[in-house]
Amino acid sequence: MDTLIFLLILATLIAQWRGRHRLAGVLFAASCVSTALLFWHHATDALGLSL
Amino acid sequence: MSTFRIVLAQFCIVAVSCVLLGAFSVQFLQSELPCPLCILQRMGMMLCAAGPAWLICRARTREVSARDYAECYGVSILAAILGGAVSLRQVCLHIAPGDPGFGEPMFGLHLYTWAFVVFLTVVAVSAVQLLLLPRAPERIRIGFMPRACVGLLVCIVAANALAVFVEEGFHWYLPDNPTSYQLFQDLHLTAPNAPSTP
Repeated sequence: MDTLIFLLILATLIAQWRGRHRLAGVLFAASCVSTALLFWHHATDALGLSL
Repeated sequence: MSTFRIVLAQFCIVAVSCVLLGAFSVQFLQSELPCPLCILQRMGMMLCAAGPAWLICRARTREVSARDYAECYGVSILAAILGGAVSLRQVCLHIAPGDPGFGEPMFGLHLYTWAFVVFLTVVAVSAVQLLLLPRAPERIRIGFMPRACVGLLVCIVAANALAVFVEEGFHWYLPDNPTSYQLFQDLHLTAPNAPSTP
């Protein structure tokens, strides 16, 4: 999961560099949501509420 | 003024890159494996740097307007809020008196506390940038240095992806307190749970 998020961030930067700004926006949003979900998982794992 | 804005964007990328390289040096020189929350904070910092990098990428091909600046620094502030929440949680996990904290402190503070300071600084610098928005679209000449800054960031993200893959192995999540590189164990290159150094 962590590796995939890093690859998403890498794809975001590459899309920015290639001038694909709409795609970069989508990838950035996907990176943020994935990071937030992974944080949610780690924060709630001990409580039995993780995804 | 446009030069100042682009220099500030480069400064943001270089500052975040230095922090990420520092975390990398702690991982490899001190053999201190990052926990899942440390990795999440690294992600937050990279996403913070993606804002100024986006600004440089836009300025490379066309005129940049106030809307471009606002979007790029809005992106940084969003990422800083996300990363700040992660580092604040880790600070709270170790806030009890007598708790030694996770890892070795550096300059008196643990890395996750420094990370929280970095995220607050990103919000402050982005706010300053938003105060200095240009009134009209401007053409900025992008030379070697801004391109090198973006290239450095891309290299750091790629290196982190590789390092995390080695640490995580073929597992979906990192363990709460990693003690070895999972990939080496998965490939039977080290004894199970033996601390390994690259």
